[in-house]
Amino acid sequence: MINTWAWCGWLLAGLVALSLTRNPTYLVIIFLSITLVSTVLVRRAGARRGFFSPLYFLGFICLTASLFNALTSHFGNTILFAIPGQIPLLSGAVTLEAMTYGALNGLVLSGLFVIFMVFNQALPARALVRLIPRAFSPLAVVISIAVTFIPATRRELELIREAQAVRGHRVRGVRDALPLFMPLLVGGLERAFQLAEAMTARGFGGEGEAAAHAFRGRFAMLAGLLLILAGWLLKLVTGSSPLWAGILITAGAALILAVFVLISSRSVSTTYQTESWSVRDGIVLAGAALVLVVFLVPSISPWHFMQNYNPYPQITLPSFNPWAGCAILGLLLPAFLVVSVSK
Amino acid sequence: MEMRNRWLSIAIYTVSIGLGVLTFVYPFILPGAVGAQSMSTAHASETPLLYVLLLTLCLGVLLYEVQGEAVKTRQVALLGVLVAIDSVLRFVDIAIPGPGGFSPIFFLIILTGVVFGGRFGFLMGALTLFVSALITGGVGPWLPGQMFTAGWTGMCAALCRPVIEGLHLSGKKTEIWLLMGVGAFWGLAFGAIMNLWAWPFMVGPVDQYWAPGVGLQDTLRRYGVYYLATSLAWDLSRSVGNVLLIGIFGAPTLKALRRFERRLVFWYETPGQDEKQPELLGEKI
Amino acid sequence: MIAFHQVTYTYPGASVPILRDVNLRIPSGALALVTGPSGAGKSTLLRCINGLVPHFSGGVFHGQVDVAGLDPVRASPRQVSQSVGFVFQDPESQFVFDAVEDEIAFALENAAIPFAEMHARVAEVLELLGLTRLRSRPLDSLSGGEQQRVAIAAALALRPSILVLDEPTSQLDPKGAEDVLQALERLQRLQGLTVVLAEHRLERILPFADLLVHVENQQVIAGPPRQVLARIALNPPLVRLGKALGWEPLPLTVEESRPFVAKMAFQPAPQTRKSMPEDGPTAPVLQAKALSFSYGSELVLEDANLELSGGEILGLMGGNGVGKSTLLRCLVGLLRPSRGAVTLYGKDTAPLGVADICLQVGYLPQDPNALLFADSVLEELRITLRNHHLPVREDFLLEFLGRIGLANLAAQYPRDLSVGERQRVALGAVTISLPKVVLLDEPTRGLDYASKAVLLKILQEWRQSGKAILLVTHDVEFAAMACDRVAIMEKGRVVQVGQTARMLRGRPLFAPQIVQLFPDTDWLTASDVLRACGKDGRV
Repeated sequence: MINTWAWCGWLLAGLVALSLTRNPTYLVIIFLSITLVSTVLVRRAGARRGFFSPLYFLGFICLTASLFNALTSHFGNTILFAIPGQIPLLSGAVTLEAMTYGALNGLVLSGLFVIFMVFNQALPARALVRLIPRAFSPLAVVISIAVTFIPATRRELELIREAQAVRGHRVRGVRDALPLFMPLLVGGLERAFQLAEAMTARGFGGEGEAAAHAFRGRFAMLAGLLLILAGWLLKLVTGSSPLWAGILITAGAALILAVFVLISSRSVSTTYQTESWSVRDGIVLAGAALVLVVFLVPSISPWHFMQNYNPYPQITLPSFNPWAGCAILGLLLPAFLVVSVSK
Repeated sequence: MEMRNRWLSIAIYTVSIGLGVLTFVYPFILPGAVGAQSMSTAHASETPLLYVLLLTLCLGVLLYEVQGEAVKTRQVALLGVLVAIDSVLRFVDIAIPGPGGFSPIFFLIILTGVVFGGRFGFLMGALTLFVSALITGGVGPWLPGQMFTAGWTGMCAALCRPVIEGLHLSGKKTEIWLLMGVGAFWGLAFGAIMNLWAWPFMVGPVDQYWAPGVGLQDTLRRYGVYYLATSLAWDLSRSVGNVLLIGIFGAPTLKALRRFERRLVFWYETPGQDEKQPELLGEKI
Repeated sequence: MIAFHQVTYTYPGASVPILRDVNLRIPSGALALVTGPSGAGKSTLLRCINGLVPHFSGGVFHGQVDVAGLDPVRASPRQVSQSVGFVFQDPESQFVFDAVEDEIAFALENAAIPFAEMHARVAEVLELLGLTRLRSRPLDSLSGGEQQRVAIAAALALRPSILVLDEPTSQLDPKGAEDVLQALERLQRLQGLTVVLAEHRLERILPFADLLVHVENQQVIAGPPRQVLARIALNPPLVRLGKALGWEPLPLTVEESRPFVAKMAFQPAPQTRKSMPEDGPTAPVLQAKALSFSYGSELVLEDANLELSGGEILGLMGGNGVGKSTLLRCLVGLLRPSRGAVTLYGKDTAPLGVADICLQVGYLPQDPNALLFADSVLEELRITLRNHHLPVREDFLLEFLGRIGLANLAAQYPRDLSVGERQRVALGAVTISLPKVVLLDEPTRGLDYASKAVLLKILQEWRQSGKAILLVTHDVEFAAMACDRVAIMEKGRVVQVGQTARMLRGRPLFAPQIVQLFPDTDWLTASDVLRACGKDGRV
């Protein structure tokens, strides 16, 4: 099984790639790579289908987005036909550029959707819960409890349904759901009480961190938020993306993240389950890193001017650099390395 | 110390919520602000995903702030169980045709917020969306937005508390009417906000198609079409659903929750030592 | 070492203290058994040991508790958790995680035990409880007994010197209960743990107890088991017999009783125990004919046959998973068998819906809490009547409540009542339509002797009035007292049916204590023996 953090790295690489390019050739490679990984995961989990449903989905989304854009946005030079009349948004020229733009958008959207689908398929709920930083450990406990209690709650609901049926209850409308819901709620509340007792008996019950320390941390977070706000307003007011706005925003975000990391490291409790790293995880991360480098380091790589593609004002053929295309295949690596999927 | 803490809390709530609202609203402001200068830029820098990231940070700060009060064991256990019940509701067939956006999770979020306070309501909303996403494999870029908005639903429901207590509406029909109004509003608002969030994804990076005429008005008009076409029917059914569920389930649920809350307000006395202050489970926001 | 000095405790909102001036000493390494009627304060006493009372429950607490040098009232529950492990009644409500290892490690995580040591401790405690081969299983795939053992392991992870258990076996089947009690006994013997255990069913654990603590009427009587048993009324059958016949020293097990029995001079005359009609069985009211049922691919019922007649109580017994509950569910229409038929008064029930069947057949599910949600006991009854479109008459309702011993609780919130009372409310709710047939699924779980006696009385009254009653139970003592006939199931079939005495005698697994002592008679309860013998042990 591939390490959770390796998957996160892969996800990050995919998201960066999808955000930073509109060039259809690269987008297609990205989408196909992600779909193949998804197929492998689905097949390993036992289901039959896998490769074509994302493709159908892609087709549908691209068509819809393309139509929407073509009908509402009337810019571009290659006019296909014009909608006559004075209909508020629809009348005007329907251009090829607008259709292409819409289709590209659909491609990006589908890519986003499928990449998260893979993420969900690869990682069971427990692994995702473990990702939660320790600064949020009480919430992580809440989530653990919820995830643990969901199957029990569903069974309880079934028992309640039977019990009510046995006293003559028939479910015909919304109102009849009340005798099903109320025992569930009240039973749950009683259970919560017992659970709280059990947790207390086992030493849970944060007395809370030192108040002063918490204050400083929260103050720093506020400062971070204000920095972000300042940077953003700056960008809006001046209209373009000056360096300052970017720096302020990044600084604010970094500050907030730093505070979380610090708080997490100070957390008192320890963790039982840790995942191990293997060569496979390293390979996946290497592939992800390669993709990130290609997209994020424009000054070094000679490919930067090829990432972007703008169909307006006149549609042209997109450019394609085979090296860049190969590098993007780094996203495909997990397809070869997934051995088993557990849920 | 207490005052300092309170002010900090208020500041954090205001800024994080404000910033969150900004991430939803920017696609309308930005075209006018960006102007013609950014045409044909080398990079698509205004990617919506960046704003999802910012939204996640705001959400994180807000969650941390709210969590500070919820560390007590009883609250953790109660929240865990309620989130579990709400997540099960999300997928259970409630034997009625659930059209469009109808979602049974909101009524419990609202009612919990009313009984246990804004912080609890916020966590209830945010964590219900999170846990049900975990269970169904629905983790995605929409999740922070959903968590934020559902959290707001719970928090705002708690705004009714002063009204309910002030007018002594607890247990009466008027209280249910009031909460039905909240449910109706948030049924629509949730959809509208999530639409706002999804808009830039549909439309694409704003600075890529700058041309004369793409100003605030046009953008709003396009958004209007988008909303009417995709979301309005959905949101209306959610709204109606909330009203229905609160109307039917509201009174008994409130009674059960309040009964439980009373059990958890306690103080104990051991003569010869200091008396402990009453420990309340529910708090004012 | 645990010591209570003049402890008086009142729950919040209560007018009378539940414990008053309690003094108690439990020496290190002892196994102390805590008994008493429901609601008398057993749970309260136990929770005083680890500080849940008063930290968790509130209220007013006077007096001093000393637990291995700690004062649980002054110390925080977190500190006390390192010295005292606590196990609760319902295994599922104690678990935060859904995997065995994570659950055991929870206490270790909270105490910030270093990573390397955590694994060693988890392995050690798994070994101790015999759970090593279950270590990576999800918790909801385990049986009740295994789950409870995981709960014990989780409580022992921090190596406390004291283990407190609040009715740990009351939700378990006999095999699970046996496993848990054996594990406890071994732990106490080998690890020198001090074990404090509250139980209703004393028979199994009494021989191992060093100390018996009886809680009743705000007071505590503690001492060696024989001494305390002599002074209290709650008694398992053997003890009752021993006390009545003046056996000294009071025997606690079957083995200890045999010498006394050998000295008894009596002739085992066959007894007809109850006023059973001798003139053959009446026509069966409810019948299962060759029922088969599968859950998915798993065959649960196979060619099961059963006949239930009016004016009798039929017990249905068998090991775990043989299909008893499934059979009941088929009888009442909740499950549709794949083969075979269920007939009520001779007519097939297949075309009827569950609600129609339940108008004439009352069914009490295993968990009565699933039924209750109204604001008062009376309202619960009204809800059922309204469901069935029957008229609601208040005087009738009150009279009905009186017959099931709930007359003075009519306006109470059902979920606040004791286990026995709640069960009777649920029983009322399913029998308010006055069905002629009543099916009960494991009704004695978690009940104390007094509640069982009340239930028995109700069932016997119903039998006298001609109702047909089917009782699924693991509790052999209750079956011995209540049932006229017993049917035994194995692997989805009913393999034997007959008079209670004959059935229970023939099977060592189902033999109550009296049957084990007097194998050649058809005496099943202490009352039978006493009726035959008279006080002096002679016939």
